[in-house]
Amino acid sequence: MAGIWIFAEDYEHNLELIQGGKELAQKLAGKIVVILPYNSGNDEKAHDCIARGADEVLYLPPLTEDGDFMACIPLIVAEALQEKPDIFLIGSSLRGKELAARIAARLNTGLCSDCISLKPSNDNQSLIMERLIFGGAAVQRVAIPTRPQMATIPPRLFFPAAVQEGRTGNIRELPPAPPSKVKILGKKTRTHESAALTEARILLCAGRGVEKEEDLSLVRELADLLGAEIGCTRPISDEMHWLPEECCIGLSGIQVKPELYIGIGVSGQIQHITGIRDARIICSINNDENAPIFAVSDYAIQGDLYKVLPLMIEGLKKSK
Amino acid sequence: MPRIIACYKWVVDEAYIRTDSSPELDLEYADKKMSDYDRNAIEAAMQLHEKYGGSVAAITVGHPDDTKGVKDALSRGPEKAYFINDPSFENLEPAQTAAILADVVTAKTEYDLIICGEGSSDLYAQQVGPRLAELLDIPCVTMVSKIELAGEQLIAERKVDDGIETVSLSLPALLTVLPDINSPRIPGLRDTLAASKKPVIEIVKDELSGDFTPCLQVLASFKANMERNGQKLSDEAADIALLLDTLQSKGIIARGVK
Repeated sequence: MAGIWIFAEDYEHNLELIQGGKELAQKLAGKIVVILPYNSGNDEKAHDCIARGADEVLYLPPLTEDGDFMACIPLIVAEALQEKPDIFLIGSSLRGKELAARIAARLNTGLCSDCISLKPSNDNQSLIMERLIFGGAAVQRVAIPTRPQMATIPPRLFFPAAVQEGRTGNIRELPPAPPSKVKILGKKTRTHESAALTEARILLCAGRGVEKEEDLSLVRELADLLGAEIGCTRPISDEMHWLPEECCIGLSGIQVKPELYIGIGVSGQIQHITGIRDARIICSINNDENAPIFAVSDYAIQGDLYKVLPLMIEGLKKSK
Repeated sequence: MPRIIACYKWVVDEAYIRTDSSPELDLEYADKKMSDYDRNAIEAAMQLHEKYGGSVAAITVGHPDDTKGVKDALSRGPEKAYFINDPSFENLEPAQTAAILADVVTAKTEYDLIICGEGSSDLYAQQVGPRLAELLDIPCVTMVSKIELAGEQLIAERKVDDGIETVSLSLPALLTVLPDINSPRIPGLRDTLAASKKPVIEIVKDELSGDFTPCLQVLASFKANMERNGQKLSDEAADIALLLDTLQSKGIIARGVK
């Protein structure tokens, strides 16, 4: 078999995909090849990948300062045409998804976007994969008849691969990239609000049921008492602009996995529900008994949030 | 003067998917709608047209019955529409849609800029835009939140995982746009009436010259089960106290908070 290829923009994500590759390799056999960004003579990460399960590491070539790493697509495609990998897993960052779609087009092969489950078929000849459709209301199970079988994989689907003693592997550099057609002129690095939300243990989410911007202070007071982060639904960020866009939770925003999620005046549009489906406990406060969020809640409080929040705040202060 | 093509998809409205406990995905009575992000794509094309001149055409691939979608697209401003249709063009996978669009765009249109939504609201695979750019061999920028033109140069802001990048590229090019790039206007009665007088270029399967075999096989589709055994509570003090106590005894929230 011709192997499992792996690429993720984020190094931790890359280690998770190595673990996924290792689990598949047990059934589907084949070497694990990891593609890493150029790292000017420091092979520490390449050796780390090998110790964790990679059989070969391919370095992308160095880019100019304004160069876009998509310029490497022709090199990856040429290498794939020669080496004929069976599987190609790519981390589903925003750029990762673009890269995957463009490589898939060049290789004329199928791609399962945002794959949430993958396993070998009964005959171990191909992958059976699942992904969400209709904003998360339904699941689609797919297989790819062409090769390589490509998939973009969200973070934390696998644990990072562990280091094993005594592993060896090849390290190779791909040839130089053609000039980039897209030039990067500048970058504003975002505040880490979205990172804080994806990592949060307790998460409060403000929805349209919050009537005025100043009422968010009530949400903040509760968040401070719980040590929680605050996110919101799309109308709150995009229409009301009360919170930045990166606080928006949902399929096209951020997907969260807190221990406790409290929806405050959130009705529960399917795109939002999909963003919180992995929360351990979902609690929701809404005055509409037909709010869709109640069906997916562990604790459904039907009532007035302006009554519930002060009661919670008071209760928590008392238990101090 | 940019000649712009806005791509759109006429999709099943996911609001019609009942969240009952049966696993079957029954779409027979579901209504269709303009894919959410494609409203932003058409609006972005119209705003560029209003600022820089040129022209805007809409293009779609679908079932011959999807004429309502063509009218909907035209009511949002484009001067004409390309309607590529065949009874077999329903439930296409992204590689097929991109290949069909590439075939028609190459054979039948002249363009400087193609705009797609960041993904479709039914499949949300986010593949058609970047795949189409590769098949046409033109530069591509995804997740765009701002567009400016300066002659043959395009300056765009795009979202990346850790921030916003400003990039430049030459036309012809393809962009996929985010929902926060604009607030799509809502077509009025006049727009709807005007739409029915605009030219629609129908393209049938026989006029296409490619191989459109799927690269992705759908083995099954079923409703996602996200229901939880919810405990119902009221907004009375006793219920809220009970909830806090339960969460504390499960170790989710600390007993002596902070």
